[in-house]
Amino acid sequence: MAKSKSNKHKTVEYGRYGYYFIAPFFIVFAIFQLWPLIYTLGLAFCENYTDTMWNVEVGPTFNGLQNFSTIFVGSDGSLFDTYTFRALGATLVMWLMNFLPQILLALLLAVWFTDTRVKIKAQGAYKILVFMPNIITAATISVLFYKLFDYPNGPINQFFVNSGIWDVPYQFLATKWATRSIISFINFWMWYGNTMIVLTAGVLGISPSLFEAARVDGASSWQIFKSVTLPLLRPIMLFSLVNSAIGGLQMYDIPKLLTTSGYGDPDYTTRTMTMYIRELAFTGARQMGKASAVSLVLFVVTLFFSLALFYIMRDKDEIREKKAIKAAQKARKGAN
Amino acid sequence: MKKKLLSVILSTAMIASVLSGCGGNDGGSASTPATDNVASTDDAAPADDAAPADDAAPADDAADSASSGDKFYIYSWNTELQERLAYVFAANPGMEDRVEYVNVGDSGIYQERIDQLLQAPDAEDYPDIIAFEAAYIMKYTNSDQTLPITDLGLSESDLGEMYPYTITVATDKRNGSIKGLSWQACPGAFMYRTDLAESLLGVTSPEEMQAKISTWDDFVATAHEIKDKSGDATRILSSNGDIAEVFRSNMENPWVDDSGVFRMDPIMEQYMDMCKTLEEEDLTQKTTTWTDEWNAGPSTDAVFGYFGCTWFLHWTIKANCGGSAVGEGTYGLWNMCQGPMPYYWGGTWLGATAGCSDKELAGQIMKSLCCDTEIMTTMSSETLDYVNNKTAMQTLSDQGAGAYDFLGGQDFIAVFSPLADNVDVSFMSAYDQKVNDLLGTQITEYSLGNKDKETAIADFKSAVAEAFPSLTFE
Repeated sequence: MAKSKSNKHKTVEYGRYGYYFIAPFFIVFAIFQLWPLIYTLGLAFCENYTDTMWNVEVGPTFNGLQNFSTIFVGSDGSLFDTYTFRALGATLVMWLMNFLPQILLALLLAVWFTDTRVKIKAQGAYKILVFMPNIITAATISVLFYKLFDYPNGPINQFFVNSGIWDVPYQFLATKWATRSIISFINFWMWYGNTMIVLTAGVLGISPSLFEAARVDGASSWQIFKSVTLPLLRPIMLFSLVNSAIGGLQMYDIPKLLTTSGYGDPDYTTRTMTMYIRELAFTGARQMGKASAVSLVLFVVTLFFSLALFYIMRDKDEIREKKAIKAAQKARKGAN
Repeated sequence: MKKKLLSVILSTAMIASVLSGCGGNDGGSASTPATDNVASTDDAAPADDAAPADDAAPADDAADSASSGDKFYIYSWNTELQERLAYVFAANPGMEDRVEYVNVGDSGIYQERIDQLLQAPDAEDYPDIIAFEAAYIMKYTNSDQTLPITDLGLSESDLGEMYPYTITVATDKRNGSIKGLSWQACPGAFMYRTDLAESLLGVTSPEEMQAKISTWDDFVATAHEIKDKSGDATRILSSNGDIAEVFRSNMENPWVDDSGVFRMDPIMEQYMDMCKTLEEEDLTQKTTTWTDEWNAGPSTDAVFGYFGCTWFLHWTIKANCGGSAVGEGTYGLWNMCQGPMPYYWGGTWLGATAGCSDKELAGQIMKSLCCDTEIMTTMSSETLDYVNNKTAMQTLSDQGAGAYDFLGGQDFIAVFSPLADNVDVSFMSAYDQKVNDLLGTQITEYSLGNKDKETAIADFKSAVAEAFPSLTFE
């Protein structure tokens, strides 16, 4: 005891200050994120809506799994035939439609831009051009595309009708797949530049000596890409994939603003999960309880996709190596 | 192994924190209005600058927010009410300084915004008077969120000049107390282009025009005539949505009756068929209501007419006709007739909120704007608004003030007056706006031929059930 007292003046406990400095984040996080999160979890198991007739709030009162049963079971008793799963389906379709071409094109561009043998000219200019759509707000782009594909006299329709290719204008935004494609295209176009920059950084992080060694050994470009670039790019790819999955499942602004009513025209085929949650919670009977339950479903789905990606992208060699080491250690212990 | 576990936990936390964005909206209802408050105090910034002491006072003592030094907040979704309030302020000196008019700017989000504001009675910008549209006024007047006008120093005798339907709409169904007042009456008519009517149909008077469209069958026949004779250059309407209000007004029963039973009125099926006919036989310009393209209609020869009401005449057709005097654009080339069905459309009501900080002032404003014959006569003669005051309209009609150069001299008061007397609002319910939105989605599918009628109606009903879980269906 006496010893520690005498030491007190000599050492300053800097560690303590560290906690003070990070405290604001945790306080804000707890109030604005953690508490709402817990509250949402609770509301998901409650009946809580507004009775429109008299505009009075009902609940929240605990009603067990009733919210979830309306999410999973349709009114005719068929499993998954509900608005929630239709919204989830639309979200996933539109995410995949933009994500697959996006990652492929971004990967291709990243490899080309970093290839020491190809040496593309004016790379900087091209990178800026590719990244540009990402700087414009999604709202602006949505309105722009809404005008472009307007019916009957939007520029696209005017072009095709005036040039004689079509006899009558086409109702892009009243057709399911046309609208979905436009939304996917906007997302693709906005985000491939961003993904490309991330992947370029990843490729540049790989030691050039590896590429040189492969080339000296006579490997073709495809072989280098397949056996050197891709495996070493795995952590960055994982980051991109998980990021895109989270972002894609929460897609909101573009489909919301692109369609006339904002409710996922035509016939809710472009209504994403977050649009649906907002609609549940803030329009009609303002069903906070069910909206919370749908949020939870979205959380679980997102978690599932992220974990699946972690699993698919795991380093198999590393696991094998570790197993081998463990086996070797065991064998040595056994021998002792 | 530990590292992997840690990375899984971290990624879970990452997703969780990203997702809590939407969770926050659901659960943290207390935090959402708080952020909104910040936004709206920004709106009110110029006024606050002058009196910084006001800002601090309510924070110290929220319960004492009824003190008369406060700002008196009036909420609406556009500038219309603000312009009408100018007449009230002119008649009541000093009132203007206390009133803070907040223009939410978008009728689409107005209800959401108001619902959030009403949840925080202690907030500085808690509304004192709210404007309501017909499509949702009942949601508020049938609740404890609005005050009866008797609490504001008004009595039923003040309402003698009003058109009865404007009072019926704003009456609390639970106890019969009147909760809102309107300064305008909104009977509807069919507004059409006189020059096109003459060249295409040989019609020279509103009476002849009325004969051409007195039933929906006649309307479709006339629509074909217009389309054929103009060589596809002109259509009778701009969009399918244009006929929506006409049919809605003619529902015999509201969507939802007082016991919470949802019914689809047969006339709405007729409406669906009418939309399909217009779409399939290519009788409209196929625009969407309230879009730029639709707004451009009145200035061109592409659209023959619109179904519109009193405010529609000024705010939509006149504002978009491409001119401001006879000879410019289509100004002066319009006329009105009744159309296939009598109907009524919209209007704005005012209601005082339960936590209104100054009931006396609220009563004064509402009385001046909605009951004062003198103010309303001036207002109508200057703005040509059809005011909710029979004497005022009669006076103006007698003076010949109704002859409107925009309508080529047609007396708009003479057209609207008999219509206003006969408005029946039994079709209205608190659910209207959302239900009509949901029906619109299915009508589009049906009229484009993506669904048959039975499927469209079934999908419509299941969408209503989804939006309002407490309703029962027949």
